Amino acid sequence: MGLTKNIAYTCTRRPCEAGHADEQAFKWIHNDLTEQIFTFQELDTASNRMANVLQRLGINKGQCVSIYLPKSVELLNSFFGILKNEAISCILFSTFGESALYDRLSDSRTRILITRKSLLKKVQKIEGELNELQAILVTDLETHQDDYILSLPQLLADVPDSFAFSAEIEPETPAFIQYTSGSTGKPKGALHVHGGLDTMLASFKEVFEIQPDECFWCTADPAWITGLVYGVISPLALLTNQIQFGGNFSAESWLEILQREQVNVWYTAPTALRMLMQEEAGLFKQYDYSALNRMYSVGEPLNPEVYYWGKKVFGCEVYDNWFQSETGSIMITNKPGRAVKPGSMGQPLSYIQAMILDDDMHPLPVRQQGNLCLKKGWGSMFRTYINKEDLYQEKFNGDIYISGDLAYRDEEGYFWYVSRADDVINTAGHLVGPFEVESALLEIEEIVDVAVIGVPDPILHEKIIAFLCLRKDCEWSRALELKCRVNISNKVSTTATPQEYHLVDSIPKNKSGKILRRVLKARYEGKDPGDLSTMEEK
Amino acid sequence: MNVTEELTAVFREVFDDDSIQLTPELTADDVEGWDSLSHVNLIIAVEMKFGIEFTQKEIRSFANVGELIACIESKLNA
Repeated sequence: MGLTKNIAYTCTRRPCEAGHADEQAFKWIHNDLTEQIFTFQELDTASNRMANVLQRLGINKGQCVSIYLPKSVELLNSFFGILKNEAISCILFSTFGESALYDRLSDSRTRILITRKSLLKKVQKIEGELNELQAILVTDLETHQDDYILSLPQLLADVPDSFAFSAEIEPETPAFIQYTSGSTGKPKGALHVHGGLDTMLASFKEVFEIQPDECFWCTADPAWITGLVYGVISPLALLTNQIQFGGNFSAESWLEILQREQVNVWYTAPTALRMLMQEEAGLFKQYDYSALNRMYSVGEPLNPEVYYWGKKVFGCEVYDNWFQSETGSIMITNKPGRAVKPGSMGQPLSYIQAMILDDDMHPLPVRQQGNLCLKKGWGSMFRTYINKEDLYQEKFNGDIYISGDLAYRDEEGYFWYVSRADDVINTAGHLVGPFEVESALLEIEEIVDVAVIGVPDPILHEKIIAFLCLRKDCEWSRALELKCRVNISNKVSTTATPQEYHLVDSIPKNKSGKILRRVLKARYEGKDPGDLSTMEEK
Repeated sequence: MNVTEELTAVFREVFDDDSIQLTPELTADDVEGWDSLSHVNLIIAVEMKFGIEFTQKEIRSFANVGELIACIESKLNA
C-alpha cells in the first residue's frame, strides 16, 4: 500500500505550497460577533510552533495529546501541531466534568493536556491519578506555574516558526481518537487514521457540493466527529470559504451570523433547530436569509415537523444525514438532486453499501425494522477501540459493520432511523452511556441504587430519566435533586444530567443483575413491559 | 441579606468553582460550564437559597448576573 498525506499537511502546509498562503483559511467569529481572518500561512505557522513545543516536551509518534478547550483558534492550532508530530489528538468537550475527563485521559494514556485556566480546576482534581500525564499546557497562563503546569504562551515564545515533518506517511498512522459511549462500561475511544482523509473529503464533496463562491458554516464543536471532520478538516483541505463561530448557542447571534456572513451552506443539528423553533416567530422576520441555499443536519433524526419548519423559515431545503464517531464520515444522506423524504436519513453515499439485517445477519425485506449495517471497506472507518479490541471485534460480523442503530429501508432505498439497538441515550446529538450517569449518582450517599433511561423529548430527541432507590432513612427533597444534578453536571457533563428523577422501591434487574431498562421505559411510558420471566424477584 | 454574596456562594456550588466572582456584567459566556442545561441547576439552587420562584419568562430573560440580582431583590422586597 502506498503512502498517504498527513492530515495536517493537507489542511495547513499544502495550501501554502499551492499558492494560497495569504488566502483566508477561515474567518473566526468571536462570541461578541467581532471577527478575525486567519490565512493558511498563519494556520501553518501557528501549528508549526505548537508542533515544536510538543516535540521539545518529548512527544513521540503514537503518543496521545489531549485538548480540553472550548471551540477556539488555540484548539485548531493544537490539533494540527499534534498531527504534525504524528502524535494522536484527542479533543474533549469542555463541558466534561472530572470523572468523564479522567476516564478519557487515563484510557488514552494522554501525555500532554492542553487546556485553559478556567478548566484547570477540574483537571487538578484528577491529575494525581493520571500517572502518564507529563505536563499540562495552559493557553492563557502568562508564566509557568511549576514544572508540570506550563504556560503555553511562554513555550510558544521560544520556538521557531518552521517545523519539518513528513507530508507523506503510512496510511494507518493514527491521527485522532473520538470517544463515544456504550450501554455498559466506560467510554470507548474510536481510533482514526490519516488514511481516512480521502473518504472524509469525498463525502464532503458528494454531500455538500459547495461551489467556490459559497460560504459554509458548520456549527458543531470539534470535540464532536462532525465538528472535526466537517467543521475543520474537510473545509480546510478543500479550501472552502468557511466561517467558525467561537460562541455558545444564541438564536440572535446565529441568525445575525447567517445574515451578515451571507452563509450559503449551513450544517447544524436537529436539536439546534428545535431550540430555534422555540423562539418567537417575529425574531426570524428580523433577519434576511436569502443567501442561504441549503441546510444540513446530523446527530439525531430530523423530525418532519422540524424539517418543514426549517424549510419555511429559512426558505431552502434541509438535508438530514447519518453517521457515527466510528464511521468517521457521512454514510447515509439526503442531498441535492434527490427528493427529500422528511424524517428519512436519506440514501447511502455512492461508495457505501448499507443494509438492514436481522440479529442473525440475514437481510430483511423493505420496511422491516432491523440492524442498520454497513459493508466495511471505506477509508475513514475506525481502526479499533483503544484498549478494547474485544468490543471492536463485537462491532463486526465478517465484513459487516453493525452500527448499533435500528432502522428500516423503504422501497426506494431511503433509510429511516428507528432507535438505538442498545441502551445508549442520544440526547441533543450526544451519545450518553447510562453507566457514567449511574456511577455519578451512586456517589451520592443518599442513593443506594439507580438506573437511567432515555425517553423521547420534543427538543433533545431523548431526555434522560433517573430512577432512584434512596436509603431508608432518607427522603427525597429539592435539595437532593439539586445535589444529583450538580454532581452529574460537574463530574460527567451538563448534557448527561437527567431531566427527571423518579423514586422507586427497587430497580428491575435480571437474575444476573443486569438492569432491565426496557421495563423501566415501559413503566414510564405506561406500556406493557413484556416478558418479565427473567426478572429477579424482590 | 447581601444578595450578591449569597448568590456568589450559589454560583460556586453549582459550577464547582470557588474562584467565581460575580459582577453585574457577568454572563453565561464568562462562566465555564454555564449552558442551557446547567442554567436549570442554577435556577433551582437560586430558588432554594432565596425561597423564591421564577416564572418561565423570567428564567429565559436574564441577560446577565445584574438582571438576575435585580429580579431576586424585587421578589424579596415584594
